[in-house]
Amino acid sequence: MRVFTTMVYRELKRFSHSRARVLGSIINPLIWLIFFGKGWAGVFDNPMAAPIFGGVDYMTYLVPGIVAMTVFNMSFMQGITIIWDKQFGFLKEILVAPASRTEAILGRITGGAIMALIQGVIILTLSFALADLKVSGVLPAFGLGFIVGIAIAAMGVAIALRMTSMEGFQMVIMMIMLPMTFLSGAFYPIRTMPEWMQWLAKINPLTYAVDGSRYYLAGVAPTFGITTDWLVLTALAAVLVGVAAFEFRRATIE
Amino acid sequence: MENAIEVDGLVKKYGDFEAVRGISFRVRKSEIFAFLGPNGAGKTTTVHVLTTLLKPTSGRAIVAGHDVVREPNEVRRKIGIVFQDPSIDSELTAYENMYIHGRIYGLTGRELKEKIERLLKFVELWDFKDKQVKTFSGGMQRRLEIARSLLHEPQILFLDEPTIGLDPQTRAHIWDYIRAMKEEHDMTVFLTTHYMEEAEQLADRIAIMDHGKIIAEGTAEELKRLIGNDVVYLRLEAPEEVKCLKADFIRGCKLLPDGRVRLDVENATEALPRIFELASKSGIKILEATYHRPTLNDVFLHLTGREIRDEADERGAMKARMKRRMRAFGRR
Repeated sequence: MRVFTTMVYRELKRFSHSRARVLGSIINPLIWLIFFGKGWAGVFDNPMAAPIFGGVDYMTYLVPGIVAMTVFNMSFMQGITIIWDKQFGFLKEILVAPASRTEAILGRITGGAIMALIQGVIILTLSFALADLKVSGVLPAFGLGFIVGIAIAAMGVAIALRMTSMEGFQMVIMMIMLPMTFLSGAFYPIRTMPEWMQWLAKINPLTYAVDGSRYYLAGVAPTFGITTDWLVLTALAAVLVGVAAFEFRRATIE
Repeated sequence: MENAIEVDGLVKKYGDFEAVRGISFRVRKSEIFAFLGPNGAGKTTTVHVLTTLLKPTSGRAIVAGHDVVREPNEVRRKIGIVFQDPSIDSELTAYENMYIHGRIYGLTGRELKEKIERLLKFVELWDFKDKQVKTFSGGMQRRLEIARSLLHEPQILFLDEPTIGLDPQTRAHIWDYIRAMKEEHDMTVFLTTHYMEEAEQLADRIAIMDHGKIIAEGTAEELKRLIGNDVVYLRLEAPEEVKCLKADFIRGCKLLPDGRVRLDVENATEALPRIFELASKSGIKILEATYHRPTLNDVFLHLTGREIRDEADERGAMKARMKRRMRAFGRR
């Protein structure tokens, strides 16, 4: 437990030191919410469009998606920054220590998930001014968000451990984060997508996070059923954490 | 346990490339032992094997009484290391870096706090404990890394190029810390360096390494005795024709790849007039003559025909600077 808590502590400390990162991580989703959301709200907020968005106004539809996106993006970034640890030696520090590697990497992932969740909560709190959200859904959404954070931070770690240089960094972000965000149903319903896109959306874990988050926070009936959302995300988290831990145990400096 | 480190026939290959080509050596308890050699000699690879970061291709290495392959965790508990490249978290403060390291090594509470304070005072960073490491100079970062490596009181401390890329003043300062901490903690220190002065200043015994092999080993004095007492370098008008000067007072003579002729003599001040006499008698024209007490560089030159400095100095310093710059950039 000692190494685990130390690694969580490290993540929190690192984050709290970097004001630019904290600010940036809040501003980005806010820009989406306000400019994108308010822009389209004028188009979508009419009786014809309401059924498409599950019977709620567009801002209420969008907020849970943006909150899920925030948790997703942030936990992925937190996970993938392990490439800096690799590049700049902290990883060697861990590898040369008489410490459990599994514990160390679990701590790293959990720390990343907690950071992402905190930012999700900040966005959610601000969003109460913009949309008609359910207070009763906050706690379960919080739980789901944590699972998403763990899964995606682990994914980031697993990818970063396979990368040999920083060169691929930008590309990985573009190739993974953007499509997953657009295919998640955060901005528009999955049902109205072309069929091939729906198919991609269904294998996108973020879709289930958005689905569940929207159910809890906006009261929109879930596309897949809330149990499915939980099951998919929990299973995914278990698998990805396993992969990350496996890779980290085998990590060398060669 | 007599020896702190025992290595027999150690080989490390990366694919076809043999970085370490079968080395054997012993490091005695409580001594400072240095690997001296140019970049790419295999020094860092050896350190990585000894600190359990790399598995050897073949051979055996016992560190602090434990086999590095079979009992890596036992070894890890007993060693500390300062890596060649910076490995501190520049986003965190000096204190946080120390705190995290201490906790990973199982220290907690009061004991940890006291140790951090004592060590940060020892490397004169206590006043900067709450500053982020990215605001530190190269020398300060190095000192912090040294303090950190001592936190869990290792029996053996590995220092991989501890002063690479630092200016001469800072370098001398770091040497003082290394000597002081060795006295205070009675540890064994294993050091790699491509700076001759560093090996000479710090090490009780030195192994000279080149192309993955140890080519000589001993105290600085013993190594210098391989050459003789004094060294005279001559630049001749026609070195190829002359090749060497022969006389009973000249113990050794060698034509160097750079065209100079090196003479090993007992006492250069007495030998020089006789050399000129001999040269004029034989019709050899001397363009330039220099002499000095042999240095480890002369030893290296004698053994390999190259100077350690040739490739090492500038590139090494450049690499360290680049890394630091990248680090500042990457973390932004």
